[in-house]
Amino acid sequence: MAETSGVQAAVDIPADKAEILARPLEERDDIVVCENVHKWFDDFCAVRDVSMRVKRGEVVVIFGPSGSGKSTFIRMINRLEEHQQGRIVIDGIEMTNDVRNLDAIRREVGMVFQQFNLFPHITVLGNITLAPQRVRHLPRSEAEALAMRLLERVGIPEQAQKYPAELSGGQQQRVAIARALAMQPQIMLFDEPTSALDPEMIKEVLDAMRELAATGMTMLCVTHEMGFAREVADRMAFFDEGALVELGPPDQIFNNPQEDRTKLFLDQIL
Amino acid sequence: MTARAAPAPLPPATTVGVLGWLRKNLFSSRGNGVVTVLLAVLLAWVAVNLGIWVLVEADWTVIISRAPLYIVGLYPYEGYWRLCICLLLISVLLGMSWRAWPKAARRFAFGFGAVMLFVGVFPHEMAPDHRALLLLNLPFIGLGYVLTPRPAEAHPGRLEAMAGGAIATALGRVAIFSTPRRMVIAAFGALVLIMILILGIAGVPGLDPVNPQDLGGLMINLLLAFFGIVCSLPIGIGLALGRRSSLPILKVACVIFIEVIRGVPLITLLFMSRHILPLTFPEDLNIDRVYLAGITITIFSSAYMAENVRGGMAAVLRGQTEAAHALGLRGWQTTLLITLPQGLRNIIPAIVGQFISLFKDTSLVYFIGMLDLVEMGRVSVQGNQEFIDNGREVYLFIALVFWVFCFSMSFISRRIEGALGVGRR
Repeated sequence: MAETSGVQAAVDIPADKAEILARPLEERDDIVVCENVHKWFDDFCAVRDVSMRVKRGEVVVIFGPSGSGKSTFIRMINRLEEHQQGRIVIDGIEMTNDVRNLDAIRREVGMVFQQFNLFPHITVLGNITLAPQRVRHLPRSEAEALAMRLLERVGIPEQAQKYPAELSGGQQQRVAIARALAMQPQIMLFDEPTSALDPEMIKEVLDAMRELAATGMTMLCVTHEMGFAREVADRMAFFDEGALVELGPPDQIFNNPQEDRTKLFLDQIL
Repeated sequence: MTARAAPAPLPPATTVGVLGWLRKNLFSSRGNGVVTVLLAVLLAWVAVNLGIWVLVEADWTVIISRAPLYIVGLYPYEGYWRLCICLLLISVLLGMSWRAWPKAARRFAFGFGAVMLFVGVFPHEMAPDHRALLLLNLPFIGLGYVLTPRPAEAHPGRLEAMAGGAIATALGRVAIFSTPRRMVIAAFGALVLIMILILGIAGVPGLDPVNPQDLGGLMINLLLAFFGIVCSLPIGIGLALGRRSSLPILKVACVIFIEVIRGVPLITLLFMSRHILPLTFPEDLNIDRVYLAGITITIFSSAYMAENVRGGMAAVLRGQTEAAHALGLRGWQTTLLITLPQGLRNIIPAIVGQFISLFKDTSLVYFIGMLDLVEMGRVSVQGNQEFIDNGREVYLFIALVFWVFCFSMSFISRRIEGALGVGRR
């Protein structure tokens, strides 16, 4: 198909957003604003005093040792976890207990999980069309057309009628990406999207993410794929013990880390 | 998949013939050999004696001469054809199930047809038109098969089927079809028709109303169990959702209901429904004991159903609700579209188990004066001087009938489990 090349085929970027995306990163608006965010599990402080601003269209890779609060942090951005102190603003919408704000934010933010979390009782097509039909109230035919475009984009249109259990891990994760994109989010969260995959399937998922980044999607990715980070990330955030230890472009993180802990961790994994 | 360079080696042979199997499993040591021989002798002795008794000594007149009483109780003879039509409707539904879900329903449909064939040709007193109607079941199974569209190449639509018909399907009455919604509607329509045929409608020629108290025998066991389970499913789902609810009053009410009902034996509930509840009714309100029994059994069953449903939903992985929330689905949408369908799929075996247990429990309705299969057996023996010594025949027959039904149910349940891949994610 002629339109397989771009996100424009699948996700409509409004003109004003496109105009913003044409600017250099520094001149764009902040789509994610976190100020002094805290989160406790009982007495354990999982996220402490994290402040971060993410520009529209920016790709931020979040990494760090396990238990460092990186997953909890991105799960707070669509409120799978509630922040208990501080302030989170997503595309101008303040995260509060107001259900309307929450609904609006969840429409803005898509998420891809480590374990895919596809709905096993419905087909691939059904997985992708469910939320567009039920939340955005698209007619079925439109939702299905959208789903097929997205499946073509992630390279598996022929799997539409199958059930998730019949797909490989890599294919399932690509379906999960398509499912999140079907809500036409402004921001995509990736929570260790390749950690549950066999090595030969990691590439196909990373390719889909690469392609997505190239279209100007704002992405927050928790991942240990350092090759991907070096290539795609605009900035990298290193978390340790619940705190944001260092935030900077990949060049700084890899070649000239400012913090000892960052350096130590990179030495261990590279 | 990469191409294989050479064919994979075959697994080692697992069978070593009958003799090898015998030696390995039954005669692996001298002691085992002795035990095997002793048990074999014992079993043979029991089997031979039982066989001789069943074939030679037993007098089956008590069953054969009174067969309709065991099957349909005091149901009026003029209405037998209506019951035959009900069987034909069930045959059509079975045929549909067979086409749509061959793995689960084919053998059951065959078995049902075989039983009908047997009853139809068995030499005993039966009006030729009833005989003909029974024999028609075979072509009607075929009819149901032919009328049903071939299931979609890969799968029937499981979502709608789960929501509407999974439970009924587990009982072999409703099929999951390529157009599930329409087929589920057809099946429920057939059930309503069956009720109308059995009970009749006043004023319609040929459908004279039947006194509900005349329903009896196996029919009343099946009807009570089936409608108990069908009606208790929605109530049980409601109770389970209530128990999971965050509204304290609703939650407490559901917990109290469930725990009170589960803490009381069915027989006491039946007693209360018959002797205590009517005290609270207005005097001119007279609900037939059949309906009271049905309501009681439904209430009893829904408390257990609620706990099954709750367990099934609790087993749905947390990632499922997280994914649904992340997509922007509201709480109730998540429950109805994601958690509940998966939860129901998880508990199909449990629901069939509950049906089996409920089916056997329905024999307790003798307690409020109904002539179910077991009570009919007791009456046959104790109420007739000529059959006073035939208790063994009667109860063996009754046990066999219950076993055949319960075994068929659990057979279907295992098939459906396999077809649905319960336990596989």
